[in-house]
Order: sequence, then C-alpha cells, then structure tokens
Amino acid sequence: MTSEHPIIEVESLCFSYNRAPALENVSFRVDEKEFLAIIGPNGGGKSTLVKLILGLLEPDSGTIRIHGQPPSKMAHCFGYVPQDVNINIDFPITVLDVVLMGRLRQGGRFSLSRTDRNTAMEVMETLGIKDFSERKIKDLSAGQRERVFIARALAANPEILILDEPTASVDTEGKTELYHLLRDLNQTKTVIVVSHDLMIVSSYVKSVACVNQTLHYHPNNEITGAMIEMGYQCPVELIAHGQPHRILKTHEDL
Amino acid sequence: MIEALQFEFMRNAVAAALLASLLCGIIGSFVVVNRLVFLAGGIAHAAYGGIGIAFFFGIPYIYGTIGVALTAAVLMTAVAIKAKNRSDTFIGVLWAVGMAMGVILLDFTPGYHTDLMSYLFGSILAVPTTDIAWMCALGAATLVLTVIFYRDILAISYDAEFARLRGVPVNMVYFLFIVLVAVSIVFIIRVAGLILVIALLTIPPYIAEKYARSLMTMMILAVILAVVFNLTGLWLSYNHDLTSGATIILVAAAGFFLSFLLDFVLSALRKNHSHKTQVPPEKS
Repeated sequence: MTSEHPIIEVESLCFSYNRAPALENVSFRVDEKEFLAIIGPNGGGKSTLVKLILGLLEPDSGTIRIHGQPPSKMAHCFGYVPQDVNINIDFPITVLDVVLMGRLRQGGRFSLSRTDRNTAMEVMETLGIKDFSERKIKDLSAGQRERVFIARALAANPEILILDEPTASVDTEGKTELYHLLRDLNQTKTVIVVSHDLMIVSSYVKSVACVNQTLHYHPNNEITGAMIEMGYQCPVELIAHGQPHRILKTHEDL
Repeated sequence: MIEALQFEFMRNAVAAALLASLLCGIIGSFVVVNRLVFLAGGIAHAAYGGIGIAFFFGIPYIYGTIGVALTAAVLMTAVAIKAKNRSDTFIGVLWAVGMAMGVILLDFTPGYHTDLMSYLFGSILAVPTTDIAWMCALGAATLVLTVIFYRDILAISYDAEFARLRGVPVNMVYFLFIVLVAVSIVFIIRVAGLILVIALLTIPPYIAEKYARSLMTMMILAVILAVVFNLTGLWLSYNHDLTSGATIILVAAAGFFLSFLLDFVLSALRKNHSHKTQVPPEKS
C-alpha cells in the first residue's frame, strides 16, 4: 500500500502475555479517513492490537507511531469505545456524567466548563440519547449504553475513533444503524472497528486487517475465504444470494 | 443526651461521631464503588501491629497505627495493581501478620495491662481532644481533595482504563485516596474499633448507592446516614450503658435491613402498579 498520509504506522510489532505470544511481527499502516475493520478469531489478538495502538500496553518489540509520535504522547487523538460497556453497571452515574468523562483534561483542569457541557449535549443529540442524559446508566438498554460510550469517545472530538466489538450486544437493526452512524463519522474521522461481523466488512469498511497472531492487511473490502474461516473457525462454503458478493483471493503468503 | 453534653467526654464523643461520619460517607463511598472493602478490612486489622509498636517503643499510639496502616495500604495497593488475581491472598496475609505482630509486641512490653478491648471494639467516650483536632484536619483535607479530584475519582472508579487514556494520572490519584482510606480507618477505629470499622465504612455508602444518581449524591447521602447511625448509637449506648462501638454497628445494621425491606416493598408496589396498568379495560 502506498499512502501519503499515514496516521498510524505499525512496524514489526511483537507482544506476548507471560511468554505466550499474542502478536508476531505485525506491520501495517492506516491512512487518514480510513475505515478499517479488524477481524479474526477469539483470542487472535484483536483487542491486544487495539490496546497497543492506544498505548494502554507496551510492545515487546517493534514500533507504533501515531503521526510519527509514540502512542503514549498521542492519547488525545483517540476516541475509544471498549468492548464491555456493561462494566460497573450498578455504579451511581448518569448518562451525562459518563459522556462528560470524555471531556476530562479538555477544558478546565478541575471543574467543567460550559463548553464541556455543551459539547457533551451536542454529541448526545447526534447520537439520539439526549433525552436520557439524566438517567442512571443502569436504566438503559445495551444498545443505548453502546451509544453512550460512543458519545463519550466522541466528546473529545478525536481524530481516530476505535471501537472494540461495538455490536456484541446490539440486535440486527441496531447494528445497521450503528454502521450507518460510523460511516457518517468516517467523513471526518479515521474509524477502526474490531468486529466478528462480516456484514460490516462487505458493506461499510474501506479496508480489512485479519488478525490471528499475525496480521494480513487487505486494502479493500473484499471478503476472502480466509476471512470467513477466521470468523467461523472452520472452512465455509459460500452461498451467494444474488447480492454482489466480493469473494476473492487468499492471503498471498499463505 | 442534651444534659450529657455538659461533660467534655460527651462533647468529644459527639464531635468524633460527626467527624467519623464525614469520613465514612466520603471515604466509604470510594471504598464501596472501587470494591476495596476487603482491602479496608486488611488495613484496619494490620493497624493493630501499629498499636503493638507504639506500646513497645513507648511512642504515641496514633503514630504507630498511622505508620503501619499506611505501609500496609501502600503494599496492598501495589500488589493489587501489579498482580490483580492474587491480591486478595496477599491482603489476607498482611491482615493476619499485622495483628499477630501487635499481639507479640504487647507480650514483650513489660507491665502492659491496658484494656485492649477499646482498640478492638472502639471507645468513642474516651476520644481525647487531640484526636478531635487530628480528625478535623483529616476531614478538611478529605473534603478539599475530594472536591479538587472529584471528576478524576469518578472516572477512575468507573473506568480506569478510559481515565488513563484521557490523561488522568490514575495511579497517583488512586494512591492519594488509598492514603486517605488508611488514615481515615485509623481514626474511625477510635469510634467503632478495628473489628467493626468495615461495617461503619460500608453500610452507609451501600444504602446510599441504591438511591443516588451520582457519586456526589452517594457521598452526601452516606454522610447523612452515618450521622444518623452514629448519633443514634451513641445515644442508645449512653442511655442504656452499652458498649458504644457495637451499639453503633447494630443501629447501622438495622438501617441496612430496613433499606432491604424498603426495596422489597417498593418493588412489590411497582409491580402491582404496572400489573394494574397492563390490564386492558373491560368492555361494557
């Protein structure tokens, strides 16, 4: 891939948990305004890769550069939606307070400014959760909670939005809505989505990274047999339903 | 009880109860939402080692307990951060080692015959004026730090990973509040004793959490509940000549079960109500 404006550059990245390798020799780059899906089997290292990019984990070897800087210095570039949006579900906190967390260290050092509050309200309006702003996080549905966490990530107006399996607890209709939303956000932001869902790969994203200890980068959104095998963990026969399916090519170095 | 306030010990007891309530409400809420109840128990019991050290070396007991409580708190938290999965074992060990150390050091202290029960179960009627001064300073420090770091504490308690990503110095703020937990425990031991301190630290925040919509309201509500429990317990123990620490805990426990009963009644009423609204109107 030849890109003039890489926003993320990963070079020969290795990472292991207690000597069990999670990622080996991973290299790829992400362009500005890219819409990248990271797919792969459970335990293949998808979330680990995301946490390395965010600077929440330190690589064993290799480098990660965000605009040429190490991730630890570039945390402000990221909006992050973690995998589990049900953590601390009994915590006494309102939707507005969760979204305002995204404004930490943005405006006033210790107290909230009017800008913080206005930005939070704007983002919540965009995501259709403004009416819930004073509700306790516990009293929302999983799909609504997902939107609250996306709003929290967007409240800092990040350049790069990273979502770790955002559709895990959302129904099919909710998924489509969510993907449309991400496509709109992609107009102005780089979007990276970790997903099991091949629907997003075929219809929404611009590029795909298959992760299973190693990483294969596909600069367009073709679904390959290998991707499906990664998704289902077994060989799958493909049945077309008349939609334009793009089922091509194996990984060249396999 | 009003006429009892003419005695200095009673005025000190009421002041200690009020200040302990402030600490219980704020620090206890931090402990409950961060699931640090076991750690708090560990600190309280390990602090007994500080009592042993204080008597053995002849230093004021407050320095011994604060020193040991802080050491235990920092060690326990460091292990909890580094090796999450086995931190409970480590806390359990320090819990016991601290107490054992206290017992042995008191064995070695010649001619020591003070009533240990007051440290185990509290002696709010014997709180000296110097302790009240310490508690005032600690209460003020806790209030100021909580106001300054409120949004950081909220973010760290709810989602530490996200807080770190937003540039919050998570470990620094966390350790700062663990230090407050340790020092607060030492003073609440004066009121309720080291065995009962966990109940006083957790019951008011636990009840408050159910009705609060934010950490701030949880803290305020917990302070109010702690005041009610402490003063009621103190009044009962004075009137009926009961051990004050245990009376306070039983009053708090009564509140705890009353809140369960209230929840039960409320949810039953709500169910009944929604049942009624779901019934379609009969055709006439």
